[in-house]
Amino acid sequence: MPDIINGGLADASNAALLTAVLLYAMGMFAYACDFAFRKERLAAPQTAQVPELVGAAAGGTGGPAPAAPQGPAPAVPAPASRWPSGFWLRTAFGLTCAGLLAHLIAIVIRGVAEHRVPWGNMYEFIMAIACMAVVVLVAVSVRFRAYYIGLFVLIPVVFALALDVTVVYTPAGSLVPALNSYWIAIHVTAMIVASGLFVVGAVTTVMYLVADRNERRLAAGLPSRTAGLMMHLPGSTVLDRLAYRTILFAFPVWTFGIMAGAIWADHAWGRYWGWDPKETWSFITWVVYAGFLHARATAGWRGRRAAFIQLVGFGCLMFNLVGINLWVTGLHSYAGIS
Amino acid sequence: MSEVKARDEAVRDEAVQDAVMQDAPFPATVRRGRGGWLRWGWRQLTSMRTALILLFLLAIASVPGSVLPQEGIDPSAVTQYYDAHPALAPLLDRLSLFSVFAAPWFAAIYLLLFLSLAGCVLPRTFRQIGSARQRPPRAPRRLSRLPLSASFVTALSPAQALESAGRMLGRRRFRLRAEDSWVSAEKGYLREVGNLLFHIALLALLISVGLGGLFGYKANRLLIAGQSFSDTPVSLDVLHPGRLVSASDLAPFSVTLNRFSARYVTSGPQTSEPETYNAQLSYTSSATAPVRHYDLRVNHPLTVDGVSVYLINHGYAPQFRVTDGHGKVRFNGPVPFIAVEQSGMTSEGVVKVPDALPTQLGFAGVFLPSAVDVGGRLGSDFPAPQNPRVSLVSYAGNLGMNNGVSQSVYQLDLSRMHKLNIAPRPLAVGQSMTLPDGAGTITFTGYRQWISLAITYDPGQLPALCSGIAALAGLILSFMVRRRRMFVRAAPGPDGATLVEVGGLARSDAAGGFEVEFAELAAELRTAQDGSPPPAPAVAADAVRAGAEDTSSSTREGE
Ligand code: HEM
Repeated sequence: MPDIINGGLADASNAALLTAVLLYAMGMFAYACDFAFRKERLAAPQTAQVPELVGAAAGGTGGPAPAAPQGPAPAVPAPASRWPSGFWLRTAFGLTCAGLLAHLIAIVIRGVAEHRVPWGNMYEFIMAIACMAVVVLVAVSVRFRAYYIGLFVLIPVVFALALDVTVVYTPAGSLVPALNSYWIAIHVTAMIVASGLFVVGAVTTVMYLVADRNERRLAAGLPSRTAGLMMHLPGSTVLDRLAYRTILFAFPVWTFGIMAGAIWADHAWGRYWGWDPKETWSFITWVVYAGFLHARATAGWRGRRAAFIQLVGFGCLMFNLVGINLWVTGLHSYAGIS
Repeated sequence: MSEVKARDEAVRDEAVQDAVMQDAPFPATVRRGRGGWLRWGWRQLTSMRTALILLFLLAIASVPGSVLPQEGIDPSAVTQYYDAHPALAPLLDRLSLFSVFAAPWFAAIYLLLFLSLAGCVLPRTFRQIGSARQRPPRAPRRLSRLPLSASFVTALSPAQALESAGRMLGRRRFRLRAEDSWVSAEKGYLREVGNLLFHIALLALLISVGLGGLFGYKANRLLIAGQSFSDTPVSLDVLHPGRLVSASDLAPFSVTLNRFSARYVTSGPQTSEPETYNAQLSYTSSATAPVRHYDLRVNHPLTVDGVSVYLINHGYAPQFRVTDGHGKVRFNGPVPFIAVEQSGMTSEGVVKVPDALPTQLGFAGVFLPSAVDVGGRLGSDFPAPQNPRVSLVSYAGNLGMNNGVSQSVYQLDLSRMHKLNIAPRPLAVGQSMTLPDGAGTITFTGYRQWISLAITYDPGQLPALCSGIAALAGLILSFMVRRRRMFVRAAPGPDGATLVEVGGLARSDAAGGFEVEFAELAAELRTAQDGSPPPAPAVAADAVRAGAEDTSSSTREGE
């Protein structure tokens, strides 16, 4: 297999990625414009999928539940369109999807140029995680009509990609023998998918914390400091649940990724677990997210405490991606940058 | 006030109790004798909060293992650390910080965690098995207080309405319980099964790992092309047997390295980086078994008798012939050199000739696979042997090998050696260097390649894999299934019609979305019974009250 790296294709991949970054940046801008110019509050249908605590509030005060329109049957509130409404939001979503397309093209072409899955070094890894984060963004936006997360997911994505193409960039190349295995396609893909989900989970959790703080201030009779933003976001309960669902999805994928990594390590190095720094930190990440899941089921730990635990887990994930590759040498130090 | 109290009652009602998976609060009034304290300690240990704290301790305890060099991973890095921090290192060592993952305090954390896990999960498992046919709980008195509720009036009699509701829920595979004035239904028991499967699989995983530690072994062996070795303690360079492994437990195979080849990238930015390694082996699984062949590569281990053999390193072994001052050949063979850098595979090693007369001889050598002159200094610019040279510094005197202390084969003890007055010059294959003072000659006769092999036997591996898969399956199951309850009450209304109330409850933590299912079920019930909106006082309840599905966190399972 004379793996000649195709330089022309590699350049095309770089160009496609730059296009993607540009489109995302424009999408970010359009999302911001949507927040700035939209007059009405967040439309009601969001609560159909992830309802707020209206019932509990009503029950607690003993007042009647909010009067509902006299429909023919107790039905789900008529689902509004899945698709974004309003000029800026449509533009923003369109730009995001176009950016995603360019992003996917960049990844595919790079893989073709290198004759392998394009996740062999840190540049490619970040590119792929960012792509996965946008995939999750698009899916969550449509599935839960949660278009309000767009801006907040694109910010870290654009930031990461900008660093990726400038500082981290690694020219196309082949894999060192240790990485040359079909397990890379299984293990690393799982890690990328999980990481992309964790990114969206963390972003949503930060939004939850902001909304929660706002609600606390209001409850304490203080003026809201983020009213302008809050009118475009759902309540903290909805954000909390959205974050939780993302993690629920990510955690088994991460678990699978660690297991696949262990199997691969066994093939490559003769042991399935060796406490290599990279392994240690994926373990730490896993344990902290498991802690998050437990916290959600423990009295007194839900809400903000659980949210902080989740963010700690995300910090561990990021440290494993960046810190371990750069500062600690181990069997896994494949970052390809020195 | 009374409203709040009523609500609390509703919450305490068994219907709302879904606390199988909740913290069990300890009743404050229990008198604690010795048994009481024990029970108290056990409850604390197996509580959710303790599990949470232990999980965090475990995460934090792992951190130093990735920051400080570890004995089990890279012993030489530990030695370097000792040199760099002579005051701090012994202190860290006292705290087992150079072998965190074998440290007693690390073991204490995970053993406590797993004790807590066992204590939490096993009773739950028995309860689960016992309750396999348990009936759904009684319906709460006031369904409108449940997080999800709806109501309508129908012309059917209460009994007919309940029967039709039971039939509908039964079709949807709800487990049913019906009494005079209500029907209660529950679904999604697999969630708890998945959760238990996951936790039990974690226990099994730990046991599998322990099994490997007790009955498995790890060994290393450096093998020069043309050489053979058999899997016995004496012919292995390093052997780490598990606690319950004895020499006779080693699988009796032997391996010969016929040829090793490596391919490197020859152009572009990745020049000199390795592309493939291939070690051609012959092996027999026992003295009488037929010889087989195997291409050993990275990611492609050899398995003999359940033992796996991995290629983990490679290098050059230059060959030398040393003739001593009396004209006798005292050394003739390959010596493995260790690469000190990868892009040119510049390798270092030593040759010891203890039998040389009149004095013992020693050589410190550098092997350059592709020698080039870089500004007056000799270097190697490619890892493959394109222009192999060896450069030697010669010593004579006492090698210090007879004093009983074992010596590294990669180092010369120079304390009683003196350097011979001959400038090192790069030798090509076949060239010799005559030592001064009639001490002898050394000839660079060629080179071979060596590989180093990791040999591992781990009987816990397969159980660990199965446990892992079971854990994953349990996890997915518990995340996908939601446990939920439906209640229907029917009572004669004021004007001869029947008032039907529907209530629903689900654990919120599972993926959510029960509101939709509830609304569909309620709508279907109403359509089936040809219902219409309830009369005035209850009008508000006609709306699906999408509300908190959360059950109160301090509740316990009743009965
Ligand atoms: C090695 C230690 C542990 C790990 C890694 C771990 C991990 C997890 C994970 C990932 C989940 C979410 C999956 C699911 O809901 O099925 C979970 C849930 C749960 N764990 Fe653990 N666990 C551990 C120990 C324990 C212990 C000691 C207890 C008992 C106190 C416990 C009780 C629970 C309970 C009750 C849930 C369900 C939470 C819910 O309903 O959402 N776990 N655990």
